[in-house]
Amino acid sequence: MSLTSPGVDETVPGRLLYRGAEADVVLGDWQGLPAVFKVRKPLTYRLAAIDREIRRQRTAHEAEMIRHAKRAGVATPFLYHLDLQTSTIVMEYVGGKMLRDLAGQMTANDAEEPFFKFGEGVARLHAAGMMHGDLTTANLVSREGTLVFLDFGLAHRTSRLEDHAVDLRLIKETLVGAHPGIAKAALDALFRGYEAVAGTPKSRRVRSQLRNIERRGRYARVT
Amino acid sequence: MKCLVIGVESTAHTFSVSVVSSDGEILSNSKSVYKAPPGGGIHPFEASQNHLAAAPSVLTEALRSSGTEPGDLSAVAYAMGPGLGPCLRVGAVAARTLAASLGVPLVPVNHAVGHIELGCLLTGAEDPVVLLVSGGHTMIIAYSGLRWRILGESLDLTLGQLLDQFGRHHGMASPCGRAIEESASRSDHYLRLPYSVKGNDVSFSGLLTASKSLLDRGASFEDVSYSLQETSFSMVTEVTERALAFTGKKEVMIVGGVAANKRLSQMMSAMAERHSARVLAVPLEYSGDCGAQIAWTGVLAYESGIEVPVAESTVKQSWRLDVVDIPWRG
Repeated sequence: MSLTSPGVDETVPGRLLYRGAEADVVLGDWQGLPAVFKVRKPLTYRLAAIDREIRRQRTAHEAEMIRHAKRAGVATPFLYHLDLQTSTIVMEYVGGKMLRDLAGQMTANDAEEPFFKFGEGVARLHAAGMMHGDLTTANLVSREGTLVFLDFGLAHRTSRLEDHAVDLRLIKETLVGAHPGIAKAALDALFRGYEAVAGTPKSRRVRSQLRNIERRGRYARVT
Repeated sequence: MKCLVIGVESTAHTFSVSVVSSDGEILSNSKSVYKAPPGGGIHPFEASQNHLAAAPSVLTEALRSSGTEPGDLSAVAYAMGPGLGPCLRVGAVAARTLAASLGVPLVPVNHAVGHIELGCLLTGAEDPVVLLVSGGHTMIIAYSGLRWRILGESLDLTLGQLLDQFGRHHGMASPCGRAIEESASRSDHYLRLPYSVKGNDVSFSGLLTASKSLLDRGASFEDVSYSLQETSFSMVTEVTERALAFTGKKEVMIVGGVAANKRLSQMMSAMAERHSARVLAVPLEYSGDCGAQIAWTGVLAYESGIEVPVAESTVKQSWRLDVVDIPWRG
């Protein structure tokens, strides 16, 4: 089910690559090219009135945000087609390895390079006036040394410091929650990568805002 | 060898004492619950006065109904936090006194870890994604690397607070969850409300404001209750689904006071089915605050050698569960 499960390179068109929280990611064929079909199927636990709107909105939004991210110099899949009736995005099949799975086998030393790049990419998105909104390690794929950003379904146009800090907060939450062994080294590298692109003043401001957000957390004691 | 631990819970509205054996048998679970006045929430001092008055009888009852003698107890566990200061102190004083007079170790327990560990005992969950939903918590949690880790949470109000503050706006007394569920079941008219998921986190404050203002503008309590439940539960289910998809785990466990809500567990089941995961619901009697969560976690901690000298047995109003080491799962 994961993008990196053995044998994924030999997958046949139409095969379910990954079942995410809100979409099925199916490998198929688009005018002769291997392509990924990201389909937001109705979620039965939600009222149709809530569900339809969210799926439509996120699908349209995602396509728009992929375009913005590309313009900001961040690697993303190429967009082939968009169908709002079925909430489907057809895009380039990236392949590569999911950062989540790579991180699971990393030592603190290995974390330096990918997470420095991760930080650079996030800073580019922020500098272009957007937030990704879903920066878990499952949404980044490493392909031939390039870190490709996926899943822009929760992305927004925003230059608010708070929103940019929320992006970093999720990264930190994911690292500490899912990859505790390398969390510190990975975060250090990430913040350095961020600073390299965003500059020291912006980097300081956004990290200070991150601490403010953490302080608002339940029962938190942030030092 | 089998041992017996007595546990004292007093983090919020409930003062409860329980005796649990090391083979996981809950021998007693006595409690006294503070009732808030209509339109109001828990007043920490008033609640602590309730606990103070109830402590001797709840303690005596827990011992009597467990059929154990004080001399049979191996340790005394207490909820060190997080919670309301005045309430926590009552439990801590009772536990210290008991431990000192019996000459047995005093074991500090994190209340949230208590919810999770008791849930695992009762449902048989082995490696679940946990949704902890109560007046004090709204968190998605999973175990990894010696600790229970927070994968997502509310950025502002908890789900319990959202429901309570909405109910109180309508003149009810906390806890309002059951009454709201009841009202919601009489409506199927959805009024549009703000839906706020940010990554793995949710935010309820805008939803609360919008729901109150719908009431103020004359919408029926049933319709707004229904819409509020549908919106907030969908948000919580979505972030739980995200954690489930991300971790690839195959169990979802719901604990905390709001776990009693049938609509919420129905949504969770529908969601889990998509991922071939099992939903484990903690029995009603033990999903809310109770002494058994402290006593059972006390057993696990005691067997791992965790204790605190009486002189250092303070209470911690702020004590996030992700800073607590869990050696018994290591």
